Amino acid sequence: MLGITKKFGAVTALDRVDLEVSQGAIHAIVGENGAGKTTLMRILYGALASDDGTVEVETHAVKFGSSREAIQCGVGMVSQHYGIIPELTCLQNLILGAEGGPILRNRAAEERAKMLATRMGFEFNWQAEASTLSPAGAQKLEILKLLWREARIMILDEPTAMLSPADANALFVSLDSLAKDGATIILVTHRLPEVLEHCSRVTVLRNGKRIDEKAVTETSGSELAQLIVGGALDKPEITSSFRPGDRLLEITNLTVKGNRGDIALKGVGFNVRSGEILGIAGVDGSGQRELFESIAGLIKPVEGAISFAEQDTAGWTPAQRIAHGLRMIPEDRHAQGVVENWSLDANAALGLQRLKPFARGGRVDEKARHRMAGEIAERFNTKHGGLNLQMSSLSGGNQQRFVAARSLCLNPRLVLAFQPARGLDIKGTQKVYEGIRDVCRSGSAALVVSFDLDELLEQCDRVVAMNHGRLLEPEAHQAMDRDAIGRLMVGAQ
Amino acid sequence: MIWRLVAMIAGACAILAGAVLVAHESPIQSLQTLFHGSLGTPAAIAGTLREATPLLICGLAVFIALRAGLFNIGVEGQLLVGACACAVVAIRFPGTPGMILGVIAGMAAGALWALPAGLIKAYRNGHEVITTIMLNNVALFFTGALVSGPIKDKTQADTATPYVAASSRMPWVYQTPTVQVNFSLVLGVLLAVGLALWLKKTVAGYELQAVGSNRVAARFAGISPQKVTMLAMTISGSLGGLAGAVQVLAYEGRFYDGFSPGYGFDALGVALLAGGSAYGVLPSSLLFGILSKGGTALQIDGVPKGITTVVLGMLILIAAAIRYRKVTTDA
Repeated sequence: MLGITKKFGAVTALDRVDLEVSQGAIHAIVGENGAGKTTLMRILYGALASDDGTVEVETHAVKFGSSREAIQCGVGMVSQHYGIIPELTCLQNLILGAEGGPILRNRAAEERAKMLATRMGFEFNWQAEASTLSPAGAQKLEILKLLWREARIMILDEPTAMLSPADANALFVSLDSLAKDGATIILVTHRLPEVLEHCSRVTVLRNGKRIDEKAVTETSGSELAQLIVGGALDKPEITSSFRPGDRLLEITNLTVKGNRGDIALKGVGFNVRSGEILGIAGVDGSGQRELFESIAGLIKPVEGAISFAEQDTAGWTPAQRIAHGLRMIPEDRHAQGVVENWSLDANAALGLQRLKPFARGGRVDEKARHRMAGEIAERFNTKHGGLNLQMSSLSGGNQQRFVAARSLCLNPRLVLAFQPARGLDIKGTQKVYEGIRDVCRSGSAALVVSFDLDELLEQCDRVVAMNHGRLLEPEAHQAMDRDAIGRLMVGAQ
Repeated sequence: MIWRLVAMIAGACAILAGAVLVAHESPIQSLQTLFHGSLGTPAAIAGTLREATPLLICGLAVFIALRAGLFNIGVEGQLLVGACACAVVAIRFPGTPGMILGVIAGMAAGALWALPAGLIKAYRNGHEVITTIMLNNVALFFTGALVSGPIKDKTQADTATPYVAASSRMPWVYQTPTVQVNFSLVLGVLLAVGLALWLKKTVAGYELQAVGSNRVAARFAGISPQKVTMLAMTISGSLGGLAGAVQVLAYEGRFYDGFSPGYGFDALGVALLAGGSAYGVLPSSLLFGILSKGGTALQIDGVPKGITTVVLGMLILIAAAIRYRKVTTDA
């Protein structure tokens, strides 16, 4: 890709960016939120048209009008949000959009699917519904989808964001073998250790410009971090200022049904003291979601009790819990955190709409709301073009900043943070966790779910693990032991 | 907003001209007839406003449900039961009490008629489009049965209730022998303004629109989508009922079989054309009023009235296409 330029209105997302990737390489693209990584990849994949610049694939100049044309030239992409339809079987998902004719030949398709899976060392029950797949399984299926379409250049956007460390390692093993077979892999990621360990070259983007390209063997984590943020990054010393306070949240024997009627939480019990940041490790789907939703009052437990500041919450509506100081940074900001076609102003009040200063006796205080929206956007440097613009005009990372900042305003007492730094870069992640630590310093508490164990170990005062609906605490002498917690995450003692 | 409406009206004229051409009449003359019949004389304007009044109130009923993400197709039925209940009550109380109680009865009946659809939607997730359509049918035949039996004026041959006393009717705000403008139009305009302010300025209005825009996010924001659904259906139903009551008290004076020419259905188009603001219901109900009144004039001229219905249908299609254009370009 040479001299790629893309403008969105007045904003230059990409400014004459060059990217050269050699065949058989695993090439990493790193950069902050809004640096242009995803935009560049979407242009390569044909989902966006560039304003200027050329793309060459295997020495042929190409111009993709759509992703369909890109895939015909062997360029495929797995995006951050998987495109798997849970109601279809794995096989149906695999061939979707590339059936190879109007008549389905299931047996031949399954043969070929098995062949591809074996080559990658994957195992699938092809007739099972895709909803039964773990996130790691879904990721593997996405990769097989690219192979099915005979992609020779694969773009992976944050592939390990939802995976446990073991699954992530397994993924890289298969990517390695693909690269050895001659496939070219472009990896967009925030995790520098992955880059250093598994990639051969790395391109750094900042503010839509290509800053540098390096062979991984010739660089280091700290050098890359500097290139990414542009200037020295002083790593803040995280001082755990946590002094155990009063018991703020007490959960006993909590059992909850999931939305498919299965038991999602089994006899979960733990305490959170005021001032404490409790990290909850675990692979996706271990019951974290149901735990948060039952604390927020969105689902009713089958059994067990949740008490907040020594009061039983059983009869409290979600709105009452918010009034008592419960805040949530939801897992899926698009679906759960914002109204995309509303202004930032209107979104600032979402969830807090009944609290002062947003409301005055049942009336919306628009002036106060506008002021608060400004403060919320300011707090974690949400980049926006005006508070009156629609939320959908913000990039994903900036929406996350906004949603995180909103949950920390108006004196929260308990913050439920589901992947609070999802899609954020190093600086953004630090800022959000600093914000959480700030509110905890003044006597509140936070529960943090993340699929990134290292992030939790670094940022939390205490880390517990969830596995298949159970909550497991490491033994006292292994309290912050990475391996011990890692074993709990997968259910081994 | 404004240019869109202007484009819409120009489009309406063009489509109408085309349609008339197909019907082998002179397009220009027909357009003249249409506008003369609806806006050409003070009496014509008054007639247009009379047509626009029920469309305005019904349009607001559909609109408020739409803001909560609900498609209330049942306004027609709510209007019928509202009108019927209003007539029954207003007959019994002469003077102003008859008017006030009639309005209350009409709104209560309309709200009650929307209640099952609201309950089924909120607590069983049954689609409100299906339930409200069914309730329309029930309302049509139920009020028809009542007016041919229990509440029929036995002294007349018509299947109709007795007339409401003149002292209970809605007053005229402007009246000459040829031109009459009823208070109900003022009421409708005030309702539009009130509804717009309520949506913008109150927490309840904010929450209602949050549910309409993103039900899941609203739930996470501590809002009960069930309660909001019930609230929206109740407001919507009572506005539908009010439209029926107003129709009885302002213009018709009684309830009869075949009471509504389909105001509740036209209101769907009114609300869709109105866009995102309650104020938008004002011009769009006026446009529908013009075409309806002008259509009657056309018919007298020998052009089938159905042509204006065709034009309205085309307009709604165009409006929907403009409105939802963004969905594909954003993706």
